Amino acid sequence: MSNRAKQPPLDRATIAQFGPSRAYAAEIRVDAGVEPDKTVKTHCCFCGQQCGLQLKVKDNTILGIEPWYEFPFNRGMLCPKGVKRYLQQGHPDRLLHAYEKSSESASGFRELSYERAISRVAEAIERIQTEHGRDAFAVLSGASLTTEKTYLMGKFAHMCLRTANIDYNGRLCMVSAAAGNKKAFGIDRAANPWTDILEAEVVLVAGANVAECAPITTDYIWRARDRGAKVIVVDPRLTPIARTCDLFLPVKPGRDTALFSGILQLMIKNDWLDHDFIAKKTVGFEALARSVEEWTPRRTAEVTGVSEAAIRRAAEWWGKAETSFLMHARGIEHHSHGVMNVLSAINIVLASGRIGRPGCGYATITGQANGQGGREHGQKCDQLPGGRDLANPEHRAYVAEVWGIEPEHLPQPGVDAYEIMRKAHAGEIRGLLSICFNPVVSLPDNNFVRAALQKLDFFVAIDFFLSETARYADVVLPGSLQEEDEGTVTQVEGRIVRINKAVEPPADARQDWRIIQDIAKSLGRERGLTFDSVEEIFEELRVASRGGVSDYSGVTYARIEEHFGVFWPCRSDALDGAPQPTPRGTPRLFEPGSYNPVAKGSGPFYFEDGKARFNLTPHHDPKEDTDEEYPIILTTGRVVSQFLSGNQTRRIGPLVDHYPEPKVEIHPRLAARLDIVDGDWTTVESRRGSCTLRASVLRTIRPDTVFIPYHWGGRKSANQLTISAQDPISKIPEYKVCAVRVHKAEAAPEYSDKLEPQQ
Amino acid sequence: MSREVLRAIVWGLLVTAVLGALILLGSRNLAHFDAALVSYTFAILFATFGLTYRYSMWLSRPPTAMYWRRGWQAFFRRGLRLQNVGRWFSRVVLDIFGNRFIFRRDRLRGLTHLLIMWGCIIAVAITFPLVFGWLHFRPVVGDLSRYEAVLFGFAAFRFPHDSVVAFFLFHGLVWASILVIAGVMLAMRRRMRDEGAEALQRFAEDFMPLILLFAVSVTGLMLTASYTWMKGYGYTFISLLHAITVIATFIWLPFGKFFHIFQRPAQLGVSFYKDLGRAEEPALCRRCGHAFTSRRHVEDLIEVERQLGYRYEVDDGRVEHYQWICPPCRRASFAMAQGLAWRGQRGGGPLATPERPLPMPVHANSGLGEGPLDEEDAENFHP
Amino acid sequence: MTVPETLEFFVDPGRCIGCQSCVQACAECDTHKGQSMIQLDYLDRAHSTQTVPVVCMHCESPTCAEVCPADAIKRTEDGVVQTARKPRCIACNNCVLACPFGVPKMSTRVNLMMKCDMCYDRTSVGLKPMCASVCPSQALAFATRAEMARLRPGARPVNAFQFGAQTIRTKVNMMVPDEPSCEIVDVTSAMFEPTIGHDILDTVFEGDENEHE
Repeated sequence: MSNRAKQPPLDRATIAQFGPSRAYAAEIRVDAGVEPDKTVKTHCCFCGQQCGLQLKVKDNTILGIEPWYEFPFNRGMLCPKGVKRYLQQGHPDRLLHAYEKSSESASGFRELSYERAISRVAEAIERIQTEHGRDAFAVLSGASLTTEKTYLMGKFAHMCLRTANIDYNGRLCMVSAAAGNKKAFGIDRAANPWTDILEAEVVLVAGANVAECAPITTDYIWRARDRGAKVIVVDPRLTPIARTCDLFLPVKPGRDTALFSGILQLMIKNDWLDHDFIAKKTVGFEALARSVEEWTPRRTAEVTGVSEAAIRRAAEWWGKAETSFLMHARGIEHHSHGVMNVLSAINIVLASGRIGRPGCGYATITGQANGQGGREHGQKCDQLPGGRDLANPEHRAYVAEVWGIEPEHLPQPGVDAYEIMRKAHAGEIRGLLSICFNPVVSLPDNNFVRAALQKLDFFVAIDFFLSETARYADVVLPGSLQEEDEGTVTQVEGRIVRINKAVEPPADARQDWRIIQDIAKSLGRERGLTFDSVEEIFEELRVASRGGVSDYSGVTYARIEEHFGVFWPCRSDALDGAPQPTPRGTPRLFEPGSYNPVAKGSGPFYFEDGKARFNLTPHHDPKEDTDEEYPIILTTGRVVSQFLSGNQTRRIGPLVDHYPEPKVEIHPRLAARLDIVDGDWTTVESRRGSCTLRASVLRTIRPDTVFIPYHWGGRKSANQLTISAQDPISKIPEYKVCAVRVHKAEAAPEYSDKLEPQQ
Repeated sequence: MSREVLRAIVWGLLVTAVLGALILLGSRNLAHFDAALVSYTFAILFATFGLTYRYSMWLSRPPTAMYWRRGWQAFFRRGLRLQNVGRWFSRVVLDIFGNRFIFRRDRLRGLTHLLIMWGCIIAVAITFPLVFGWLHFRPVVGDLSRYEAVLFGFAAFRFPHDSVVAFFLFHGLVWASILVIAGVMLAMRRRMRDEGAEALQRFAEDFMPLILLFAVSVTGLMLTASYTWMKGYGYTFISLLHAITVIATFIWLPFGKFFHIFQRPAQLGVSFYKDLGRAEEPALCRRCGHAFTSRRHVEDLIEVERQLGYRYEVDDGRVEHYQWICPPCRRASFAMAQGLAWRGQRGGGPLATPERPLPMPVHANSGLGEGPLDEEDAENFHP
Repeated sequence: MTVPETLEFFVDPGRCIGCQSCVQACAECDTHKGQSMIQLDYLDRAHSTQTVPVVCMHCESPTCAEVCPADAIKRTEDGVVQTARKPRCIACNNCVLACPFGVPKMSTRVNLMMKCDMCYDRTSVGLKPMCASVCPSQALAFATRAEMARLRPGARPVNAFQFGAQTIRTKVNMMVPDEPSCEIVDVTSAMFEPTIGHDILDTVFEGDENEHE
């Protein structure tokens, strides 16, 4: 094993000052006699479903939540994170001031004034860009920011810093789905509102632990089942919704393309196809049909590890259904061939012709709060607002005009988030600004990431808590929590919703967009970054997105509130030959006869001929398959009580108690072979690192696979083990498969008696 | 008339008669009895009858009777008596007189209760002996600076009229009412602002007692104010008012919330019963095989349920009585029953026949506030 | 004029996904802030992800109240069995051990039994209880009977449960299938049944499979 990086440090002194520590409701939050001053209708700060809720506020403190029954998506329902989110506000770990790295302080940081911190950042940017070129300063942003902020981050990088190197943490999340959707449909958005799930006869859930990662969707699936739907779940683990699903396909991690190709092969063989739809609305079916011939049930079973009988049944149910809904998530997307997986799933949807009609749907379940909106308006390395391409001269010209600059002043497309780390490690990128991103926990092979950050000349992090990543920063700027700012986000259905401000940022903390503008001002490059309000940013975003695929030009804050959200695309005015846009936008894409700016009426899909594309999806094994040395598959994922890198949720006491520390899930058959019993300290080793955690011996996982949730940092981080292999198209890392070996640990790990579970 | 009622009436009459006799005795055939206080005496006698009647009725309920009997048995258990006396004292001091368990619930509520309780105890300790004629004071013959206290007709002790003892004795009721008023204010404040309390409280159960205590204390203070600073202005009227409030309180005593004063000490019996249970054989759940309480407690509860007319007997030799199933297994069985009803309609089939005993269901979140409330509860949930 | 339909509580443990929203939301209730009253158990996590959320079923003749030696548990006129009266409860644990559904919790430290009171602070003013508001799977639901019939065709509510020879009727309903009809849910007869689910090994293809359909 090549031990490229040392074991992560325990960081005990830093943790003592900045946490993560656990907050519980106390004082006025448990006093049943305190009346709130106001309740603010807003949305959850965590996942992509963006459940509506109300925050109860008194004296700039959020007392708790009250369900918002009128919001149609969740009708009051919330997952445990939504219920306890209020505990992140007023938290003892909250960054109240700017900090700079200091060797004199035990924690490694000392306080400095906000103004001084901003000028230090500006000086560093100026110096690095002068000495090493504009692209030597990179920006990492996030998809939990409001759409306004993501727009501003793109503008800041492309227009103010003029660096090619901006990317965002959606790169680890939804990009495979985005790329697949663009290749097949020409547009990247869930095709249907969630109400279409209710009308489906078959609901196919692939690689989505809905119960834990998108809990509210469970109710839609169960209601569909109540109306007679059959539920098919594809997952290497028996997740809570899989327990009572009608058909469970425990696919071997990394073999989803084979499974969908096998299903398509059976659909073709049995003629469970919509020939009319295929002929009139799609291209490329013939070639695809030939290419999947080899995927006989026998071969599919051999590759996927799913029994032939189950594959046949799945194909029959899917093939014969009148209506259906296919949804997938990171389970099929986090692969070195994630786009192929997505395309193979889309292929069985297109072959059935069941899309663009009530009860006939397809969607990826976005992960982050603004997973959808955050990937539309220019913070991706190759993108400009409105879903435009940075490499497309027409698109560059339009956006340059909106921004009042020459198109040639815009940089060319840059590199993805992991490549930024590689360039930092190689010394090509010397400075980095990161916001809403915790790569030390969330990127694969994070021992490498840590080494890369340490090589930077200057690293500034904007955050509300000192994340594991911010511990490596030279300057930390105190940003804002979701409840301290307003704006819009676009949730899983493509519905744009309003985030309302409930409280003010404390002490020196500022709204993130103000911090960015302050940096620009300090650089003397504030042109175009002098907004006075969030709505002003949104108004410019509307103009910048007009005519693009992600068209927000018809969306206003007032309309969002009036209709409980507006679905993009939503144009402001009728284009030539197009029907008048509706005030609610476009809840369902690809309806027969629908208009879009690419097809201009020639068909419902976003290509010039208006037709959807079948794509060839050759199967590839995962980049790192098991071998004698590393014979077991490791797959990673989430638990319901934690969110992403845990920078917020690992500070919320009741959520920590729910599932305090990561455990390795092992099937009893494998555990018996390894002489491991439930609760044993168990070491999981890959070629990149090792991790010692307690074993959880369960029959609900494939016997050839172990699972570790990834929300923890340091030596508990699953991403010490994962591989940084990426999809060639989407650049998503392969979190879901790598090869490991597992053995019982000789002793408890060093951290076990030195750190609290969340640390 | 049922046997319980008859017995309760007999007990009531008996205890009331004993108190009456003691009044006659202590006041030397009413020689020291203050006729002006006769209405108070009758109210107390009525309350005594009512309380005894209700106490007797309460004790005749099967669960109470069982605990009453078992509590005493546990207390007088051979070999433990000395230890139990020690424990009894510490529990009485800490829990009963110190309100420890209420302070643990909430510090402010503990303080509230402590103020009201000690205010009432002081007031009762001063007024009852005076009302019954058990205690009176007379100037010491030949020494006008000193008083003599006469208890049950016997001269008990002497004290100077400007001494600390005198000050407390003669102003004790003022202090008592101040304690009570402060406590009532705190209690009222909580009941007016706390939304949880607002939802559950009822006027007769929760506000009436506070209003009565407040009225007694305020009218009492008015009496003091009247004769101290206002030359007895309105004294007769105020004393009538005071008498009405006090008498109403006594008459209310057996019916409302005040009855808890007499019920509460039963927790001492419970604690000895539990001590004994812990030392004895545990009950093993007939589904998961884990210990969850004492065998004695389950057997006693089965008996109580039979007496109450419940029929939790299970026609399955492995179980015999549903009481032998631990609470987590009951919750599991509840889910199993529904799963069984849906079998074949919702997906999934019966998993491999599980080995016996079945695995114990585990509380999903054992964190603070979410899972069991404390150690004993943890035993209830995770045997 | 029609009589307005009242809201009722419906449980469907089969929908539960164990997410603990109910547990977290319960602790937000004003009557017991910071303490959760709901019971959520894994039946047998090593074999299955099945979980069961249990709220107080509010029995018509509550065993907990009848076995209480201190008369501490009261049932309101509208059929809600309330948590123990604080002045009376002597923490004897009888209610915890007697409740056929395994609902009450006991704190010996503060001498008090606590249990779900159907969010009386909310339901008494027409709001839904916290747990049923947030439950993402709607295993816990609070609605009118008409709404439930519309939302869940094929299911119907039952509020009688059999424990050995004892039938218990409750205010809270359990959802059972329309067909085959079942008037009483027999809890004790299901006690030793295997759990429902999928055994992964039944469907994992390990290359030695010969069966063809």
